[in-house]
Amino acid sequence: MTDVDLFLQTLVSTVTQGSILALISIGMTLVYGTLRVLNMAQGAMVMLGGFAAYTTLQVVSVPVWTTIIVAVLVTFVLGVLTYFIAVKPLLGRPGVDFEMTAFISTFAAATIIQNVCLLVFGPRQKPFDPVIPGLIEITGAVSITYHTLLMNVVAIGALVALGLFLSRSRYGLAITAVAQNLEAARLMGIPARRAYATTMGIAAALAGIGGVLLAPSYFVSPNAGDLPLLQSLIVVIFAGLGSVKGTIYAAYIIGFIQSAVSIYWGTAYALPVLYVVILVVLVIRPYGLAGKPQEARL
Amino acid sequence: MTSSPMLSVTGLVAGYGEGPVLQGVDLQVNEGELVVVIGPNGHGKSTLLKAISGLVSASAGTIHFGGRRISDMRTERIVDLGLTQIPQGDLLFPDMTVRENLLLGAFRPIAHKKRQEGLERVYSIFPRLQERGTQRARTLSGGERRMVAIGRGLMSDASMLLIDEPSLGLAPVLVNEVYQQIASIAQSGTTVLLVEENVTHVREVANRLCLMETGRIVMSGSVDEVLADPSVMRTYLGVGD
Repeated sequence: MTDVDLFLQTLVSTVTQGSILALISIGMTLVYGTLRVLNMAQGAMVMLGGFAAYTTLQVVSVPVWTTIIVAVLVTFVLGVLTYFIAVKPLLGRPGVDFEMTAFISTFAAATIIQNVCLLVFGPRQKPFDPVIPGLIEITGAVSITYHTLLMNVVAIGALVALGLFLSRSRYGLAITAVAQNLEAARLMGIPARRAYATTMGIAAALAGIGGVLLAPSYFVSPNAGDLPLLQSLIVVIFAGLGSVKGTIYAAYIIGFIQSAVSIYWGTAYALPVLYVVILVVLVIRPYGLAGKPQEARL
Repeated sequence: MTSSPMLSVTGLVAGYGEGPVLQGVDLQVNEGELVVVIGPNGHGKSTLLKAISGLVSASAGTIHFGGRRISDMRTERIVDLGLTQIPQGDLLFPDMTVRENLLLGAFRPIAHKKRQEGLERVYSIFPRLQERGTQRARTLSGGERRMVAIGRGLMSDASMLLIDEPSLGLAPVLVNEVYQQIASIAQSGTTVLLVEENVTHVREVANRLCLMETGRIVMSGSVDEVLADPSVMRTYLGVGD
């Protein structure tokens, strides 16, 4: 491979990984921004998106792309259910450290979902066809599959749609208002708890889309959400918890580091290098790229 | 002005956990009135408005608005009924534009349908907000932020407004401007309950004054009646021995 080939491959991989990471991580950011919950069920929703698509294709003969819609619906409902079962009962409870308790309760919900899938579908990885088969050759050594192109189009399209929803629609603005100033939002008549449920539904649906798009590469299995969850955690912490813009920047930076290290040094180095980078960043700037400093506790 | 009661507070006890701040408040505001609650800082004026809006729960007593009991209702339901609070200080959505802040004031369905009309009304009262429409709230001056907060409250098309210390942090020239606007809002038929520490600002606009001390309404009457009381004159106007 020539240097140009390696550069092109890194570029394509950075954009693809960055877009998918942004899609999954932005859901965590939204939930943290509105509810102050680091939602550990986001990885389970990625996994569920894959299973929803896989099961649909087993039951009915439909074009693969339609399974994205099924995954969105299933994960949205499960995201809302996770809110009602694992988060809502903790809201406003005196003497409860809400952030820490909800972090653990969403982790518990994720573990339950994962184990139910393990019982129902078994531990084996299930193959999943690309949504669109085929590829385009860029140079003799570098090519892009249609599925990769679709991943980028769908992920970026979903992020743009989310941005428009949050900034232009009445209900999207209401969610943004709850994130920016809860008391003021309530005084405007915005039902904060309904906004919380919707936010968790939207976050799960974004992860669900990610799950279908990742399925051809990572297969469909009960553990398929583990790596995306870990990567998303790195992205949102690197970004600064709750920062939408920071999450987008961080997703592409992390996407670049993973791609460049994998292509130039080998895949085995990608995660260790990522941990070194995140450690260095957190030591230098503990509140992340776009987060705000908090008061010291000790 | 009619005299049917729009807001009725009876024996209200409320606070934040360590002993109640409000210790049996009785207050009635009639339709079309502009009632001002005055009193020293820390004696429960803001807590009273928060309790009426449902942000602070009442441990005893009742609150009725338009004949319906609202003491156990959620804030958003109370806003839906037409009772909106314009809170003290900087409670805007800082990263949203002035226009977005104002539009969120019209969240209740009835106001949302009339949002364009509402915007025109607010812009006619505060023309500066139209000029600043695309500017983020966090970049505004203190006076402009106060105008956004009042404008946002007006967007809700509420039949009654609760206004918490509108003069706080404003330059004297802006205080007069803001109070003129509040007076014109009240004259247009909106019932207003306002709390204020500084009596001098409200003398010209209030229909009735209530004096609040240590969590209770201790005196109520016309502006002249309340201000004629020697202790009020001494404490709030600096007149007397």
